[in-house]
Amino acid sequence: MKHAMKSLPSLLAAALLALGALAPVAHAQNKVQIGIVTALTGPMAAPGVFQMNGFKLAAEELNAGGGFAVAGRKYSIELKVYDTRANPSEGATAMQRLATVDKVPVVLGELSSGVAAAIAPIAQDYALPFILTVPTGPNLTEQNNPYLFRVNANNHQLNVALADFLTKQGWSPISFIAWNNDAGRGGVSGIKELLPAAKDGYVGYFNLGEVDFSSHIANVRNSKSQAVMLFMDEEPGSLAIKQIRDAGLKLNLVGTLAMGSDRFLKRLDAQKLDGMLQYNAFPPNADVPRIKKFSQTYKAKFGEEAHGFSAQSYDGLMVAVAAMQAAGTVSDGKAIRDALAKLNHAGVIGNIKFDAKGQASPQVYVTQWCANGSRRILYPDNAKAGCGAG
Amino acid sequence: MTEALLEQVINGLMMGSVYVLVALGLVLIYGVMHVVNFAHGVLFTLGGYLGHFFFTQWWDNYWVATLLSMLSVGLVGYALERGVFRPLNGNLRNQVIASLGLILALENAVIALWGPNALQWKVASTEQLVSLGELRFSVHHLGIIVLTMAMITALGLFLKHTRFGTAIRATSQNQEAALVVGIPVQRVQWSTFALGSALAALGGCLVGPLFLVFPQMGDVPLVKGLAGILLGGMGSVPGAVVGGLILGVTESVSTLFLPTDYKDAIAFMVMVGILLFRPQGLWGQRVRGEE
Repeated sequence: MKHAMKSLPSLLAAALLALGALAPVAHAQNKVQIGIVTALTGPMAAPGVFQMNGFKLAAEELNAGGGFAVAGRKYSIELKVYDTRANPSEGATAMQRLATVDKVPVVLGELSSGVAAAIAPIAQDYALPFILTVPTGPNLTEQNNPYLFRVNANNHQLNVALADFLTKQGWSPISFIAWNNDAGRGGVSGIKELLPAAKDGYVGYFNLGEVDFSSHIANVRNSKSQAVMLFMDEEPGSLAIKQIRDAGLKLNLVGTLAMGSDRFLKRLDAQKLDGMLQYNAFPPNADVPRIKKFSQTYKAKFGEEAHGFSAQSYDGLMVAVAAMQAAGTVSDGKAIRDALAKLNHAGVIGNIKFDAKGQASPQVYVTQWCANGSRRILYPDNAKAGCGAG
Repeated sequence: MTEALLEQVINGLMMGSVYVLVALGLVLIYGVMHVVNFAHGVLFTLGGYLGHFFFTQWWDNYWVATLLSMLSVGLVGYALERGVFRPLNGNLRNQVIASLGLILALENAVIALWGPNALQWKVASTEQLVSLGELRFSVHHLGIIVLTMAMITALGLFLKHTRFGTAIRATSQNQEAALVVGIPVQRVQWSTFALGSALAALGGCLVGPLFLVFPQMGDVPLVKGLAGILLGGMGSVPGAVVGGLILGVTESVSTLFLPTDYKDAIAFMVMVGILLFRPQGLWGQRVRGEE
């Protein structure tokens, strides 16, 4: 008893101290955690950086202005990031944790369509809105999952724009070299359907780790094609382009959005890329105020050219915040979902409005490499711009 | 079509040359030690990485880097013979298991040292182009064929006309008899292992600049090199050369008629087809007591 009496003052003092420490927090703004699933390591680590940069930029901007108001209270953003390593089971664990342990109101991100497909049903089970900012698999938004939204254009939308452009060029026959997987085979059949006028050139698929494209190139030459489309990402893309150019094929090269950034230029010299086209979701140098502003801020912070994945992810987080504001809640997933479905947000990549399936319809561009290593915009007609603007 | 055929024959000869370099190493080692070194493909990879390392870090001269890489991998080969294969001499099963283990160890060592991502190796000869009518090849591409041919000739002369070459041939024909006539069999074994490893490194250094340097770059050449020596006849040097070239040309010409997916299948079907009629391979000799 004596012992207890003696320690009472110190206990009180501790309690007071604790209160004192807590007091300022009670007055300061509240934090809201937003779930992020992305790949920080593994095969998708490089594009994962672009995605994270977009989220970081948006969070910083929101917090720097003193946070944002929801139902009269100020909140600041805290990103709760999980590394899925482009692995569906890691992704599923992360989504489960975000829903049950972290109890976040909304989850954003993912790069791989495979991971996104595996974890979207978990989000739906927990009535947790899930906003995709990079995966392009068209099926993702065809699963009747009311909690899934996608900010970026999917492969079908990208193909429609490219096919529209290619039809106007009248190139025929057209050949294809593509990944021997869903994305490659799906991409080829998708765009061939949209190009009924073009005669079939050669269609070849290559496996992961294949580096020698000479057999494909001999066949493309043999098919007398006027254009060859490369459905692949950066690494095989740079090998294929170099080998096609070295082999002296005189035809138009068409690539994917992985082949339309300064990062890609580092792998090849501008002379090899000169004249190559690619569909593109985000021309960082376009003379459009919203794009210019974003590109400048991005370059100042990260020291490199802004990437489409960053712009899409930046917009994704802004859309999530706008939806929480419209719903007047930072915890009710159902209300936030309903707000997302009705939202109309002016983003960096354009106006974002989700259709009944949760898919937005951002502008898709076709850009072309110039001899000096810059890019020009060829499509859509109203955005056409010369070298240096793409 | 003739143009495409010519293009694919040249491409096939190029890839075939690379298979030949791998096959030669395998066949020499098999000859003197009677072991198939499955880690030979990883030595190919290691050669590519070391060449890239010497080129980018020390001296950007392609030939010096290639030579240094061959020497280093030759030393690795020497160490492997002394440290792994010699102690297991006489136990083929354990030697095979050890060589499979070496694949894991060496491939992961490469990943630990240089990371899992592919490296680019920019060499001037891959940028210079030669025109043949409408076709165009890089100097490097054609250089691989020429250099391999030169290497094969040099190796042939070495084996036929030097004392040590004769010792290698004698050891592959009959180890005990070689020992009886005073050939230092152990020295022949480790130096052959080092020579074979250096040839694999040369292969890695030749294709690295043309494509990429990456941890799995030796996988396909190993399988094709093995197929090449089976086709040519286990233990036969000219067989390894012809076997490798036949595989390379067949697979690349086949892509003109069939989807490229079937490329590997065609190469192996040709191998099986030939072995059905000549089970000892094109150059192999039936040896009494060996089935």
